[in-house]
Amino acid sequence: MKIRSMKLREAHKSTGVASQSSILYDINGERLVTALASDTSICIHDAFLSSVSPKVLRNHRDGVTCLAISPNSTCLASGSIDHSVKLYKFPGGEFETNITRFTLPIRSLAFNKSGTMLAAAGDDEGIKLINTIDGSVARVLKGHRGSVTSLSFDPKGEYLASVDSVGTVIYWELHNSGIIAHNLKGLAPSTSSDNSVINVIQWSPDGEMLAVPGLKNDVVMYDRDTAEKLFTLRGDHVQPVCFLSWSPNGKYMATSGLDRQILIWNVDQKQDIDRQKFDERICCMAWKPNGNSLAFIDAMGKYGVWESPVPSSMKSPTEGTQSVKSNGVLFFDEDEQVPSASGSLSDMGEDSFDESEIASRKRLRQQSKYDDALDEDNDDELNFFPKAESHKKPRDDELNFFPKPESRKKPRKEKLDSAKEGLQNTMVIKGPKLQEAFQPGATPVQPGKRRFLCYNMLGSITSIDHDGYSHIEIDFHDTGSGPRVPAMTDYFGFTMASLNESGSVFANPRKGEKNMSTLMYRPFSSWANNSEWSMRFEEEEVRAVALGNSWVAAVTSLNFLRIFTEGGLQKHVLSLDGPVVTASGCGDELAVVTHSSSPLASSEQMLEFKVYNICSGTLSKKGKLPITPGSSLTWFGFSEEGQLSSFDSKGVLRVFTKQYGGSWLPLFSASRLKKPEENYWVAGLSASKLFCIVCKSPDTFPQVIPKPVLTLLDLSCPLASSDLGADNLENEFICNNIQLCQIQSRIDEMLASGQDTYSLDDEAFSVEAVQDRCILRLIASCCNGDKLVRATELVKLLSLEKSVRGAIKLVTALKLPNLAERFNLILEERLQKESMDTPFLSRATLNNCDTSFKADMSGKTSILPENSGKASIPPPVEPAIPATLEKFPANSFTKKTLQESVKAGKAKTDEKQAVKVESKATVNNSSESKNSVDIKHAGQTSKVGEGHRPSNPFAKSSNNQEKSMDKNAGQTSKVGEGHRPSNPFAKSSNNQEKSSLLDSLKKMKNDKTQQK
Amino acid sequence: MASQSDPHGSAFSAAELEFLAEDEMVEIVPNIRMDPLNLISGDFGPFRPQIATQVPLWLAVALKKRGKCTIRLPDWMSVEKLTQVLEAERDSARDFQPLPFHYVEIARLLFDHARDDIPDIYMVRSLIEDIKDVRFHKIGTGLEIISERTYAVKLLNLSAMEVNIVRPFVAKALETFYKLDSPEMIQDAERRPDARTQAPDRGPRRPLRPR
Repeated sequence: MKIRSMKLREAHKSTGVASQSSILYDINGERLVTALASDTSICIHDAFLSSVSPKVLRNHRDGVTCLAISPNSTCLASGSIDHSVKLYKFPGGEFETNITRFTLPIRSLAFNKSGTMLAAAGDDEGIKLINTIDGSVARVLKGHRGSVTSLSFDPKGEYLASVDSVGTVIYWELHNSGIIAHNLKGLAPSTSSDNSVINVIQWSPDGEMLAVPGLKNDVVMYDRDTAEKLFTLRGDHVQPVCFLSWSPNGKYMATSGLDRQILIWNVDQKQDIDRQKFDERICCMAWKPNGNSLAFIDAMGKYGVWESPVPSSMKSPTEGTQSVKSNGVLFFDEDEQVPSASGSLSDMGEDSFDESEIASRKRLRQQSKYDDALDEDNDDELNFFPKAESHKKPRDDELNFFPKPESRKKPRKEKLDSAKEGLQNTMVIKGPKLQEAFQPGATPVQPGKRRFLCYNMLGSITSIDHDGYSHIEIDFHDTGSGPRVPAMTDYFGFTMASLNESGSVFANPRKGEKNMSTLMYRPFSSWANNSEWSMRFEEEEVRAVALGNSWVAAVTSLNFLRIFTEGGLQKHVLSLDGPVVTASGCGDELAVVTHSSSPLASSEQMLEFKVYNICSGTLSKKGKLPITPGSSLTWFGFSEEGQLSSFDSKGVLRVFTKQYGGSWLPLFSASRLKKPEENYWVAGLSASKLFCIVCKSPDTFPQVIPKPVLTLLDLSCPLASSDLGADNLENEFICNNIQLCQIQSRIDEMLASGQDTYSLDDEAFSVEAVQDRCILRLIASCCNGDKLVRATELVKLLSLEKSVRGAIKLVTALKLPNLAERFNLILEERLQKESMDTPFLSRATLNNCDTSFKADMSGKTSILPENSGKASIPPPVEPAIPATLEKFPANSFTKKTLQESVKAGKAKTDEKQAVKVESKATVNNSSESKNSVDIKHAGQTSKVGEGHRPSNPFAKSSNNQEKSMDKNAGQTSKVGEGHRPSNPFAKSSNNQEKSSLLDSLKKMKNDKTQQK
Repeated sequence: MASQSDPHGSAFSAAELEFLAEDEMVEIVPNIRMDPLNLISGDFGPFRPQIATQVPLWLAVALKKRGKCTIRLPDWMSVEKLTQVLEAERDSARDFQPLPFHYVEIARLLFDHARDDIPDIYMVRSLIEDIKDVRFHKIGTGLEIISERTYAVKLLNLSAMEVNIVRPFVAKALETFYKLDSPEMIQDAERRPDARTQAPDRGPRRPLRPR
């Protein structure tokens, strides 16, 4: 036999101790469910896309020992060491109920063929037969001595077979009030010493025989009725068999032994046909119901799928499955046995059939029996789980397909198709799923724990489930100013909520026929009594809610956007383009995210957003909403400044900007922080910070208790690693740019509406100043990295004239005469342009230049001699400056400054100060204000402040830089290294940045206070 | 302050020490929105609900008293950290574990004012009491080595409170030994020649034991 290597994937974290594990396929072979006895979680994996992270159910408090899935794959049962048996909806995985409890760990579960009955057993005495409809215990079968390790319902519904850890097999007769038909002692090996090894039995799919692991490392078949030994499968197992599984058609069997191998048997020929060795013992296996593959899981919680265990030369393991005849008979039998299920068989299933399907059914007349069987199957499903329809979260498959009415039809169609093809290996590959609707700032339901319905920067709404009703509390973060809201009891079962300063809105999904979807609004303060209101929806359910400035919005399953006023007036009903994902409100604006089409095959969700202005009734923005490939949207809302923002499950924050005609800028990426153990749960953001709650992996969302504390993270663009090595600066540069852009757009808006922009201008000015400082530092690092072209580009971006001069000083100090020359040119051009704009101010401008440079000069003059004194060779700076001068004789002011810088000291400038201060205010205006009158005002006040202290922040900062530079230059020249200007500075750059930043920050602060 | 302390000099009163400890920084989570406070000792804030910030202990306590914040327990006050420290203190007979200089005072202030912010408060309190006892015991036994040959006592990682308690005694004891040891005293003993011969007899100076 050939040697293959099986790739195993870890489904559960093992403690290193071998423990019992379980695996099973759903009916379509699309999903795999796994569990491990040393792990509390159950994982639902996508059988096709292993890259998709599994859905994890963490409802058990102790290891999960066994799983069972109902035959129609709508219900999953799990048994655990924590003594409970839980039911979940499948494939959604929503917890449904604790169907029963034992006093000792559960070891085995089994559904009967129709899914009406669940058998559960374990270390306790007695096997419980539970009615899945109402959870009542129909019977308790007592007779085993050891713990029951495996249960198997006879496919024909007559018998239940069970085996215990001491090897006793019992046939229970189901019809006859559970008497023991056969009690066979010592058939299977005794495993009572080790809990991780269990005895297992299984009926053949036709129900004619029962397979039991034998005492001689073999498998023994026993007759259905007489319980006589029929034959044995004996072969290459060298240790006892610990698991066995019939192929869907009963022609093959897979067995795994304690000798860590899987054998595939041809049952008819009683011969093994293939085998596979593993590192660990395989605890559980499952055949794919509609294909030639075998899923298995080992004792360490690693699972894998063995594709085509049956060689292609042989008949497929699914060929002739569920032979129409036997199944048809079987289903009718079942119905007779279970009167509770047969009462309302005929109604619902047929309703959803449309014309085409009825036609197809007619064509399939010859298979009508099979169809009937399926119909009943579905009817069963509908009857058995009345709650299924009403579960809090919309069911997966309801959302998976859209438009919605298809949801019920499609699985059925598939079944019919597969029936048409005689159930050959039909693999129905579905694409990635559409994301479910969610509320921003909500956490998922956790049984027994309080959860957030809404968490934002303002406060939180939490809810905890008691039996039948829930308890809702509204808390504001700011206890000083927020209103106090009494806790409330909620009989509707609200799952969606939204909160703002003035009120809160709640909504619940539909719960079956009786409980309609409800929307409720509670204002926090109102002059009238009873000002809370509620709306009910028939035939539709609320999927998302949002609140804004005196309006309430709800998006429903019919893709209606309903807008209500604060008082409850139904103001607008709009139809949306697709199923809603989420909605968020802020002020007058409502943003709604919808699916624009089904996701791409690469599992990219296709989302689009629209921003409505409710007040004016307009659509203000619309477009696609990009998210990271393979991720889903996890948060959506507005920043403190009202910027639209989104956060996806890969941890990327995007902010909408008007740049480039409206685009999304990625402004934060969790992967950039390189802290894989932390997950960020976003609560909000401001212009420069992201407010989030840090959750330690694997938690992806916070708990209500202890009260979560917000963490501030810096926004940062995902920049490419540049050759400059100044990532922080580049990042700051971009962020400042974005901020400037936002302020500018707001100024424009306000100007357009005729409002005063005084404060915004101030803000813009200070951001510009910060940006200039950042650019100057970038220029410095460009010079160090010899990126001179880039430096020139940067100079052109400086917004203040002083900063340009600072840049010239900087490069001069860095001994880059070429660059200084170019910078001078740029400055000259700039000044020319300005003087063209304001010709009458040219003289004043000239004066201004002197002042702005006074500080620099004083610094320079004191340093220069020292520098030249230390370095015996005169530094190239001095010759360079005259050179530039000569070249531009026309540029009188440059000449003046430079001359001064070389010759004149403080005295001269001091003399002039009186004149300068006078002229300054006007001068500066010329350089700064091109647009508004208000800024002049601002400028003046600030200049008065500067009058006291002649040095301004920018001049000072550059001055500082120079100092440290020069010192450094002096040092290195002493050592005798070359005079390459870049070298000495490279060393000090860090240092210098710090000091100058610190100084300039201080200055800024002082300036501000003075301005005030 | 001087009026409160004991007249002989060096020791502070407990209240004074507490006052000094109040300048230590702690992290609080305010539940109010407030502009930054510009104080002589520095700028604190801005305060935003549910966002942690660093303030001096006195401010934290003041806010806490008004129900405006929760105080986040310093790292060293967690049960596991304290357990580690206690074990380490017990393990070594000489060394003191590094704890904040004002650990006794900080713990005391937090126990008094922020008991609802401390999980397992009884555990934490008893651990700190234990640590304090162990350390005081160590100091006591350590000080027994003060003798005529001791010129100094080196105690690393001692906290304010502990220093404060032993300071008067140690200073006085060393002073007394110094006096008794000084040549004047020996001169007075009228056995000058012997004393002179004795002085070199002291032999090589014993290195101080590491404290």
